[in-house]
Amino acid sequence: MKIPRPKTAGAVIPTASMADIVFLLIIFFVLTFNVEVDKTMVDLPRTNLRFEVPKKAATVSITDSGQMRVSDGESASTPVASVQDVLSFASEMLATDPEKDFVLKADRNVPYREVDQVIDALKQAKVTAVYLLSEQETVEGGGQ
Amino acid sequence: MKLEKKSVSDEIPTASMADITFLLIIFFMVTNTFSATRGLDFAIPKEDKSTPLVEREESVLISIHAGGAIEVDGRSMRADQILEYLKPKLERNATKPVIIRPDPDASYGDMVKVYDVLREGKNKGVEVRNINIPTQREVDQFWY
Repeated sequence: MKIPRPKTAGAVIPTASMADIVFLLIIFFVLTFNVEVDKTMVDLPRTNLRFEVPKKAATVSITDSGQMRVSDGESASTPVASVQDVLSFASEMLATDPEKDFVLKADRNVPYREVDQVIDALKQAKVTAVYLLSEQETVEGGGQ
Repeated sequence: MKLEKKSVSDEIPTASMADITFLLIIFFMVTNTFSATRGLDFAIPKEDKSTPLVEREESVLISIHAGGAIEVDGRSMRADQILEYLKPKLERNATKPVIIRPDPDASYGDMVKVYDVLREGKNKGVEVRNINIPTQREVDQFWY
């Protein structure tokens, strides 16, 4: 007697929906995408309050060794030698857009003297809004 | 003679779609940054040379010394005691100016910490409306 063979199950993984899933992920990444114009590594100060910084804001970064870089928010940051250059950069930015927002990305260990000079340069250039970039204060790292 | 008809598949080949989209995902993941898009806003008052800044006597002066020690109106204090000290003063005069004067050698992180405490007061029932952080140049100009 002939024994009927069991039907072979198809060894196929259904991949038709894969593209849909992946497209959803892509949409998420496209929406949250923002190019990091300033890649300076700094230890940001920690704060409890944090607000969203406007996109395309001009960036001034100060590392703990005192090196400064500026970026217009669109193109990669370039190093500047002195506070005078920050002032001329800010004036240049405000000439095209008087409402331009500025983001200060300074290391938390920088002596205040240097931050003071940069803020003063921004004030002299008549910048209206400055944001101090910060990290979220955690409970463990919290107030002394 | 019998002509053999080659049947053309009417399906769009989608097998490679997932691969293409995964490549795109990897690109967006690598170039995306989730960090450093939040911070504290720091409104810069309009520079007005005609009126001098607030009188020192009428305001609260918070000095930050090198090393992070905080002194409020000459009394040394911890950061979490500042709001408690300010509360009765602000109840009498809601727009009482609070001036932050960091020592040039104090760290930027310490200044941001104090500024964060004052800004956070709003959520704790002590709204500090008038926070001033004069730069060294302004101090030299107006405070003789």
